[in-house]
Amino acid sequence: MSDLTPAAATPPAKPQPRITDCAAPYWQHAKDEKLVLPYCGQCDASFYYPRLWCPTCFNQDISWKQLSGKGTVYSYSVIYQSPLPSYQADLPYVLAIIELDEGPRMMANVLNCDVDKVRVDMAVEVLFETRGDMKIPQFQPA
Amino acid sequence: MSHTNPVAIAAVSEMKPGRYPDMDGYDLYIEVIRQFLAEWSLKPSDIQGLLACPSGMAGGGSNDIFVHEQLYEELGIKPLFADTMNAGGSTYGLMVQRAVLAIQQGKVDSVLCVGAGKFPKVSTGGAESMARMVSHEIYEFPYGTFIPALYAQVATRHMHEYGTTAEQLAEVCVASREWALLNPDASTYGGEALSVEKVRQSRPIASPFNLYDCSIPLEGGAAFLVCSEAYAKRLNQQPAYVLGMGEFHNHRNIHQATSLTDIGCSKSGQQAYAMSGLGPNDMDFAEIYDAFSINPLVFMEELGLCPQGKGGEFFQSGAARPGGDFPVNTFGGLLSFGHTGDASGMSMIVEGIRQIMGIAGERQLDKANAGIVHSYGGMMSEHSTLILGRSA
Repeated sequence: MSDLTPAAATPPAKPQPRITDCAAPYWQHAKDEKLVLPYCGQCDASFYYPRLWCPTCFNQDISWKQLSGKGTVYSYSVIYQSPLPSYQADLPYVLAIIELDEGPRMMANVLNCDVDKVRVDMAVEVLFETRGDMKIPQFQPA
Repeated sequence: MSHTNPVAIAAVSEMKPGRYPDMDGYDLYIEVIRQFLAEWSLKPSDIQGLLACPSGMAGGGSNDIFVHEQLYEELGIKPLFADTMNAGGSTYGLMVQRAVLAIQQGKVDSVLCVGAGKFPKVSTGGAESMARMVSHEIYEFPYGTFIPALYAQVATRHMHEYGTTAEQLAEVCVASREWALLNPDASTYGGEALSVEKVRQSRPIASPFNLYDCSIPLEGGAAFLVCSEAYAKRLNQQPAYVLGMGEFHNHRNIHQATSLTDIGCSKSGQQAYAMSGLGPNDMDFAEIYDAFSINPLVFMEELGLCPQGKGGEFFQSGAARPGGDFPVNTFGGLLSFGHTGDASGMSMIVEGIRQIMGIAGERQLDKANAGIVHSYGGMMSEHSTLILGRSA
């Protein structure tokens, strides 16, 4: 009966984002731990999230530009109860909207920080979390 | 709307919110219509148009986008105007707006607007399916999104910009519960009053929200009939006139909202005021979609019903409670009446109609000549504002 010993529970893997064609460079650079966003030359502005045209002027001639990876917390919430099995071990965790120094805002977790210490306007910097064969941008106190 | 033909809502009915495990979204629809027809004396020719919402969507169920076809066939009518439409919680406000335009164009004299909704239990994977439904699959969901935490972004930002406190948010819940204790259909009727302390001591969900800052997930549905004035008067001596209406679609995903404290409600509100020729000071009450305690607070400001940044002080003053200067969510709100999933956007419209008709029972307001009803869909993404009144 020894083979009925329960195996050590392995937590389910966190969601791995689906890579769309228009965002392939974003994820490719993320693998190299670089935050590279689509850039519109007509607007002289980076935008998030990746799409096939600039949402400000419809220009489809999109290039890619590396950002500083610096930003601030625009808003956040400390989550004490999550429906995601893969996030149970992280409770409590921070879900935040980050405003990058270059302007665009993105959603991320704030990592490597006591959840009680997170504040709006707090300076943060990007880091990359491995998810399977991908890396996804996250943020931590700068 | 003096430049156009008046349109009014002549009949209204709502199921008591609850858990109906033996009914799917479609069964709920049939029950809503059965109850509506039982309460109002109508014949098939009184219903010339039909608008419905995909049912069972929030419950992960049928998500039937052809529900209007099944419903008009069951009713035994052949409408000149019909659709299944969806804009989340703002669906039913937008149904009123679509119906008004169809009636004013002369397509039809009456449109039945109907909704029924399921709501999954948070513990059965429902919260995950809901989080997938309302956050970006690629750029939000992988970060462990959870509906309360998405709304909480708005609350945290409001607290930062204006100094709003968690205690002021709790005052919204306290006021709603007081109203619910006057409403026999509310899920918390016969229960206990809330206090700021009770809200703050309930278990934390997603800061700044505790359990009582969140609405109560239930199931139910409602229906109402939008009519030309002549039709309305035939059915009801005091219909609820649609004096003003506005809509605005701001974003889909909360991180894309340009501002979290000017989130699109002011745009639909301004349209509704302009059309009615009325302003915030002419409103006797407000019915505001309140999935979480922050919503009425922000929308009071955006609708010009209190100064920007003063929503917290407004609720703290007790003005929104029974007997207060400016009643808000007189049915108990989704916070204490119950949130009926796909159909939740019905409840505040139903109450606005009832207050205007003067049939709101023990909670009927002494003064209800004009009221404002605001609902939104998604993560405060798209907005519908209606102004209802006793005379055209």
